[in-house]
Amino acid sequence: MQQGGNKNEAFSLKTRVKRLKRDSNRWSVFTLAIVFFLALPIIFIGVELFSGPGETWGHIVEYLLPEYIWNSLYLVFFCSILVLVFGVSSAWFVSRFDFMFRKQMEWLLILPLAIPSYIVGYAYAGIFDYGGSMDLLFRQLGLEFVRIDIMNRAGLAFVLSISLFPYVYVSARAFFLNQANNLLEASKMLGVSELKTFFKLMLPLARPAIVAGLVLVLMEVLNDYGAAKYYGVNTFTTGIFRSWFSLEEPQTAVYLSALLIIFIFALILFEKWQVRKVKFTSSKTNSTQIQRKQPKGGLQWLIFSVVLLPIVLGFMLPVAQLVYWAVITASTVFDMEFIMISLQSFAIAISSALITVFFALLLIYFSKWSTLSSIKNISRIGVLGYAIPGAVIAIGIMIPTLALDKWLINMLAKVGIDSGLIINGTLIALLYAYAVRFLAVAYNPIDSTALKVDNSIPDSSKVLGVGNLKTFFKIEFPLIKTGVFSAVILVFIDVMKELPLTLILKPYHIDTLAVKAFEYASDEMVMEASIPSLFIIFTAMLPVIFLNKLLIKK
Amino acid sequence: MKKILFAVATFSLLVACGNESKKKDTTSEQKAAKEQVVNVYTHRHYEPDQNIFKMFEEKTGIKVKVINASADELIQKMKMEGKQSPADVLITVDAGRLSRAKEEGLLQSIQSEILENAIPSHLLDVDNQWFGLTKRARIIAYAKDRVKPEDLSSYEDLVNKKWKGKILVRSSSNIYNQSLMASIIGNNGEAAAKEWAEGIVANLARSPKGSDRDQVKAVVAGEGDIAIVNSYYIGKMLNSPDAEEVNTAQKIGLFFPNQNDRGTHINVSGAGVAKYAPNKENAILFIEYLISEEAQQVFTDANYEYPVLESVAPVADIKAWGDFKEDTLGLNKLGEFNKKAVLIFDAAGWK
Repeated sequence: MQQGGNKNEAFSLKTRVKRLKRDSNRWSVFTLAIVFFLALPIIFIGVELFSGPGETWGHIVEYLLPEYIWNSLYLVFFCSILVLVFGVSSAWFVSRFDFMFRKQMEWLLILPLAIPSYIVGYAYAGIFDYGGSMDLLFRQLGLEFVRIDIMNRAGLAFVLSISLFPYVYVSARAFFLNQANNLLEASKMLGVSELKTFFKLMLPLARPAIVAGLVLVLMEVLNDYGAAKYYGVNTFTTGIFRSWFSLEEPQTAVYLSALLIIFIFALILFEKWQVRKVKFTSSKTNSTQIQRKQPKGGLQWLIFSVVLLPIVLGFMLPVAQLVYWAVITASTVFDMEFIMISLQSFAIAISSALITVFFALLLIYFSKWSTLSSIKNISRIGVLGYAIPGAVIAIGIMIPTLALDKWLINMLAKVGIDSGLIINGTLIALLYAYAVRFLAVAYNPIDSTALKVDNSIPDSSKVLGVGNLKTFFKIEFPLIKTGVFSAVILVFIDVMKELPLTLILKPYHIDTLAVKAFEYASDEMVMEASIPSLFIIFTAMLPVIFLNKLLIKK
Repeated sequence: MKKILFAVATFSLLVACGNESKKKDTTSEQKAAKEQVVNVYTHRHYEPDQNIFKMFEEKTGIKVKVINASADELIQKMKMEGKQSPADVLITVDAGRLSRAKEEGLLQSIQSEILENAIPSHLLDVDNQWFGLTKRARIIAYAKDRVKPEDLSSYEDLVNKKWKGKILVRSSSNIYNQSLMASIIGNNGEAAAKEWAEGIVANLARSPKGSDRDQVKAVVAGEGDIAIVNSYYIGKMLNSPDAEEVNTAQKIGLFFPNQNDRGTHINVSGAGVAKYAPNKENAILFIEYLISEEAQQVFTDANYEYPVLESVAPVADIKAWGDFKEDTLGLNKLGEFNKKAVLIFDAAGWK
């Protein structure tokens, strides 16, 4: 489908329109409809661009923009390095070697995802603080405490990396486990050393999977608000909040969001470009599970420590700090209400995960069935929501849903029914917002597994006269099942942690654990926030362990 | 086709849910005679507040439904919801945001003798659109071993060269700092305010970050000598479940600036009735309850704020700091100068 690109340009406009007509089918229309539905909030924000920036735009450009750009680039650069080091090394070691506690570590490595990064930020501040855990520990040991200042740009890069690296770990490991064996065998037979095999063969081949995970990490990094604000690092996202709320200029905030979106779009194009260079599909028959090596003595200890490090830093240390806080605040904070709120959070997260994955599937397969080659690129617009701060999406959701509500209210008034807001402030608006925000999280794992399914498989089914939908359910879905389940779980975890959008759109009397944690944290009651945070972690932990089982079984 | 059918089914399910909630809405309106509610948009996410809401529910039978978010976000939400807004009451943690809500036409004037008699006149809106509930002072915390309180005098004095590299303060994105800056613009004018901001930035011990509590910890850790902080956080630290925080708070001295002139800057947390409140009567009852003696007692006992009701004494911990003179600059000014304050912060490089 893609080779046509260059030749096309030679044709006149008329031919191109003709081609467009010929190639488009109902799936193209459906794809466009779904993209439009998901991009609606983004479009509404985009429309704001035409009304020009607010009057403080010049002020922002003069005093703040250079810092926003510089800090965001700094974070993108250093987070990329750290995330790749932690994510790829641990993925390779657990796939290639067998060592003590490997099985447990395989799922422990995903767990940092269960902690909202701003909570990790608070925990680390608490660890290194004056009177914090390290300080106390050193005093117990009678040592002089050298205070490490973590609340700065470098500290922020560390905190974000350590809480987000599992995205890279998960996708890299999936590749190593399922795709690497034959090549590894071949390389071994040719007598290539272990190190060389990794750097010359495995790494380049795993690149699409690794970069797909990295792009998710970087979108989260650019979107982070809580940790950046607490650590005093000004980024695009803190700037969006500042200009929207403190400077009272939504238009200026929209301009900053637009810049951020361009930034992200560049990242997405980069990913697309690099994946195309390494097109790699495999039919299922010849990929077998990787054969693990048994490292000896010292090497085993070395590998064990390298893999343990990100687990300790990303999960055990922050959780230990949270548990310590939870113990000293339990009597004042804990009550049965938490069980209720946990259930509510769980229900909301699971239903929005299913809805979001459903949309992602529609988007991926409709655009696949559409014979129009450009539709795939258009469908990518749907994933932009992940890059936009939750608060901005919330506003983008409110504009169209309120308009619809007003229209509905007027219609109902005509037939004599007096009603309040119908969509806004209900679960519908919230679930819609989650779908817009987290589509990318569902899209990427499904898309990457779908890419690995050789086109010849569904094609042969279709040649035999079986329709698209039947082919999908009978043949393709079983092949991409793991991708779909991973998507459900990843969206689930993200929704559990989501904050700014939930705050604005949540209905009365529905509380989520993240909201509860934030209520404490924003009032500088970080210690009290530990109990809801731990509940988030525990609720997210079970699906994470399940996810791991799934990925291994495959 | 299955897929499309599924899509249609899901969508209709969604619509059905919408209908159902609509039905619920209408039936709940019919039930309104039985079940009374008040919808509260609040920036105060404090545990004690929830206790007060429960006390109110028990006393009046009116159910309190709460949306928690920052005042800025709530104001944005109310603006967009317009006439359909379900909000009855808006509660913020600074008067600047209330006066902004008033300017945006989101609040309404109400008649309540109870409120007018109970609240000192400088803590309520001239048009009775909003009412102060509690006060917190923006004070100076200093290292007892390194700073003599005699050396401290006013906010303005903090730009003095003797404090170079000694001042700790949080980010300018915090509303308490924005309100303080707005009060300085209101009292001294814009040019003086800009000089002041530049002077503070020049004297900072480190780039602004963390919370007010973190500033206090940094003073004790020796990163700086003085910190600009909110009084109620000190109260909370003194009563923290963490013994280390209590120790830390005990190691600092507190100073109320500008006692010889206009008085110490205060943040006022307050409430107003929403313009399109569907339950206006309940909203008034609710705010009246918030300034009742029992509610005010909870505000000060559990949240270490100064009550606006003079008949209620502040909790022992903050009473021990003694009485102080407070800046009575019209609180509407804080809303008016807020944006200017942020612009000055940026220009001065106060992160």
